Amino acid sequence: MIEADAVGFGYDDDRVLRNVSLRATPGETFALIGPSGTGKTTLLRLLALFEPPDAGTVRAAGTDAWSLSNGRRVATRRRIGMVFQNRSLFSTSVAHNAGYGLAVRRSWPDRARRWLRGLVGRPPLEESVADALETVGLREAAHRPARSLSAGEAQRVAFARALATEPDVLLLDEPTSNLDPRNTALIEEAVAAARERDIAVVVATHDMQQARRIADRVGVMLDGTLIEQGPTETVFGDPDDERARKFIDGELVY
Amino acid sequence: MFGGIIAEFGTRYLISIVVVTLQVSLAAVSISTLVSVVLAGVLGFGDFRGKGVLVSVINTGMGFPSVVVGLVVLLLLSNAGPVGGGFDLGLPGVGVLYSFGGVELLYTPTAMVVSQVVLATPVITSVTLSAIESVDPSIRDAAFAAGGTARDVQIAVVREARYGLVTAVLAGFGRAVSEVGSVLIVGGNIAIATGGGARVSFTRTLTTAITLEARQGNYGTGIALGVVLLTIALAVNGLGNVVRDRGRA
Repeated sequence: MIEADAVGFGYDDDRVLRNVSLRATPGETFALIGPSGTGKTTLLRLLALFEPPDAGTVRAAGTDAWSLSNGRRVATRRRIGMVFQNRSLFSTSVAHNAGYGLAVRRSWPDRARRWLRGLVGRPPLEESVADALETVGLREAAHRPARSLSAGEAQRVAFARALATEPDVLLLDEPTSNLDPRNTALIEEAVAAARERDIAVVVATHDMQQARRIADRVGVMLDGTLIEQGPTETVFGDPDDERARKFIDGELVY
Repeated sequence: MFGGIIAEFGTRYLISIVVVTLQVSLAAVSISTLVSVVLAGVLGFGDFRGKGVLVSVINTGMGFPSVVVGLVVLLLLSNAGPVGGGFDLGLPGVGVLYSFGGVELLYTPTAMVVSQVVLATPVITSVTLSAIESVDPSIRDAAFAAGGTARDVQIAVVREARYGLVTAVLAGFGRAVSEVGSVLIVGGNIAIATGGGARVSFTRTLTTAITLEARQGNYGTGIALGVVLLTIALAVNGLGNVVRDRGRA
């Protein structure tokens, strides 16, 4: 549904991305591996339509997303979910955080009504929010303040927030880089669940073992360029690019 | 402690001073908060030429001497000088608000509200702006990535800054309720005789009453009024802290 075609980004003397092409396919997990600072986050932000690329195009359903009207681009963005590396929860309840994506999709009168109702009592948990929290194992924590969560739990709520809107594409930026093994496993299970729901997942990670575990396809990024991409087994077993092989074998030190 | 003032003028007089103080300061802070949130929003989310200068002016405004503000408001509200004319400076704009809808404003609680709005707005705007600017950028990203429009992102940021907004309102209230210079000039520290030696405040606030009592050598009464003022300040701050803590819980 979303694809980058020969995308470039950055300044003349500091190119963050060069000629990157990538396609997120429904029901498939694509792992973007590479050392820190190599442009993975920038690429995900371009795919999430945070900003337009300097060169090339980001296409949604075959159309250049930046040629769309503002309203249609917002509608396109709303088919994409994203989870960030850093803690990014609002200082409200878990339920509010997980339901935020749904809340912004409602009409203003409806939002005002729900806000007023929320002043007199706790609103019932919507089905897709409850379902998303269940997927990340935090259904029971719905009414806890987000600030009381551990880093791992917070990341799982951020994941639920993206999942609750039932997106077509899920972009994950180093979602487990600061987490313990149990929370990492729970996030990986949630990625598998998203894949089962036919969501196209793109996950940036520097954990190659994780990429092996969860990805159908892998792309290796070095210095802003996607130097190798293909099925996980092929990229890890027999990469075409010599630098990709060295990076995978741990010989390329950054 | 309150014996002197109550014995002389009655409880009604004391209560009327407290009521005028609260009415004026609460009205001023309410208006200032509305103005400040819009201003801080424009400055916090907008990017335009002259923004830095405007922020500097607002920050400078936090230190406006209240007597100067009182004097400027006096000139704006008076048509031809404070009493009896002969004070026409011929400045453009001076006297424009002398009568608003046929109502004379000088030496009324409305004039005091105007001067306190001028004093409180820079404080509330500045603290609100700094609260908005200190919200982690990850909040903007999270709201945007969840499908939020530019407006949704702004609302999310302001909601994150809500505890700072409470602090801003408390700071503004503190500035308004404790100042004496401008309300003395534009309000005139008027108490109205109601017969039988009794009086009620018209534009007399706790601060201007303290000034008067001190000038007359009634230090005990002045201190008693000071205790009332401090109690109000403490109560409002306590309420603000409760709101903050409940929100955070």
